[in-house]
Amino acid sequence: MPEVKSIFREVLPKQGQLSMEDVPTLVLCKPKLLPLKSVTLEKLEKMQMEAQEAVKQQELASKEPSQ
Amino acid sequence: MEVTMDPLFLAWSYFRRRKFQQCSDICSKILADSPYDQAAWSLKTRALTEMVYIDEVEVDQEGIAEMMLDESSIAQVARPGTSLRLPGTSQGGGPTPAVRPMTQSGRPITGFVRPSTQSGRPGTMEQAIKTPRTASTARPVTSASGRFVRLGTASMLTNPDGPFINLSRLNLAKYSQKPNLSKTLFEYIFHHENDVKNMTLQDVVQFSSNIIFCVQALDLAAQATEHAQFKDWWWKVQLGKCYYRLGLYREAEKQFRSALNHQEVVDTYLYLAKVYQRMDQPITALNLFKQGLDHFPGEVTLLTGIARIHEEMNNITSATEYYKDVLKQDNTHVEAIACIGSNHFYTDQPEIALRFYRRLLQMGVYNCQLYNNLGLCCFYAQQYDMTLSSFERALVLAASDEEQADVWYNIGHVAVGIGDLTLAYQCFKLALAFHNDHAEAYNNLAVLELRKGRVEQSKAFLQTAASLAPHMYEPHFNLSTLSEKIGDLQSSYTAAQKSEDAFPEHVDTQQLLKQLQQHFASL
Repeated sequence: MPEVKSIFREVLPKQGQLSMEDVPTLVLCKPKLLPLKSVTLEKLEKMQMEAQEAVKQQELASKEPSQ
Repeated sequence: MEVTMDPLFLAWSYFRRRKFQQCSDICSKILADSPYDQAAWSLKTRALTEMVYIDEVEVDQEGIAEMMLDESSIAQVARPGTSLRLPGTSQGGGPTPAVRPMTQSGRPITGFVRPSTQSGRPGTMEQAIKTPRTASTARPVTSASGRFVRLGTASMLTNPDGPFINLSRLNLAKYSQKPNLSKTLFEYIFHHENDVKNMTLQDVVQFSSNIIFCVQALDLAAQATEHAQFKDWWWKVQLGKCYYRLGLYREAEKQFRSALNHQEVVDTYLYLAKVYQRMDQPITALNLFKQGLDHFPGEVTLLTGIARIHEEMNNITSATEYYKDVLKQDNTHVEAIACIGSNHFYTDQPEIALRFYRRLLQMGVYNCQLYNNLGLCCFYAQQYDMTLSSFERALVLAASDEEQADVWYNIGHVAVGIGDLTLAYQCFKLALAFHNDHAEAYNNLAVLELRKGRVEQSKAFLQTAASLAPHMYEPHFNLSTLSEKIGDLQSSYTAAQKSEDAFPEHVDTQQLLKQLQQHFASL
């Protein structure tokens, strides 16, 4: 607010040079909200997991008699 | 003496209670006694279908083959605002990557993932291989058949004595004349059987021929319903679905259009819009949705479809408008709530985002992602008491290592926010321990390393992050700044250029580039 007079006055050096340097700072990657999964996607992933499990089971079963 | 229930009735009861395995077992017994029992046969077909049923509207997996060998595109470079493939061409003032992280396809991350989200087309084969399809699988499927192959394996294995129906021996013409059998048979072929045949060969060509088989079945069925003079809309929709799976989009469009002429059904609009989206005609799809809304005012799925297209075209403001419309009709729509919530979070209103996520919690959504989001919102809305307990729950509920890594990564942000850099360091390290390719964690770790004065370590982390996620501008920019500090101007320049490619409006990158150009000019 320009009309309100601040009690602090800015200090500008009268002598010497005033130099400002804009130093580039490193940036962090931003926090990541995790997207919720749709029902279909959850079902697909569950079915995929089950399929993988079933394959593993069968592979184990087929290995055992040969040993 | 116990009175036994009629087995077929019991099977029906199991089917209604969605206990498909028991239902199928009983039907098998009935069929073993009397192989020509059509009721039991039909019921078993339905039970087997339901086991692997996925909503066809939602499934939209674009494999590498479809992406790279696309014949239906008209122009290589579409005009701005008319294509889903150029995510950068939004007019709606989408969020910049400075505030909202990007997915690998160059879109801002959404609040909700479906099987078809992030279907943006990568420019190169290399990128195509790297782009994740779903939340957890890191690779795209090699072709549209890939997913179905894997799903089929399980159903195959559960039947030790081979498939239930031997399709090659089936006289389809005979079945197509029995409308009450042909529909269940079709659904069985479409959802269940196409995988099983495929799984031994794992070959796209086989898959196609298999689907052609499916289309043949359909053709025959369509002929059989000729007594209705092709007036059965249901079969036309199914025919369209088959064409869609085969990649014959124009034919699919024709079928859906003709089905709509017979009967206005919401599903048909959704399928047709899917065809247009696949053909990269978002404007046509939008018009179609609006046309659908004229017939079905306030239909939630149509409104959601519009919102999704706007979101994919990076027009987040109008997407939010439509999601709000969705909520007016259905105030428990998870997708709409999640998308509006994440949008508020990334437009600097975490308090409002918090309300949306709390609403989801009230509705009974209970998973790792939601608690993670709640934790973040609480922290940025200055409700510190809830922050860490939310993250604790998120960690407990995490189902996979990738989720665990993401939660630790976000806890690292909280730690950075409260100035506990040691904790932050440990969190990012943990994120990397759980998920070795977490590019964001590498980048943030590099920043922390540099604060400790370990330049070489920091540089190595930044290079790793940049190679893992070339779509992010942060590692490129940081690498550029770092290289400039240690006097390696050439690599600083190349990194700055990459940063500019990823995020052209970034002011600091521009300044850095200008500075470097001055350096080079004075040489």
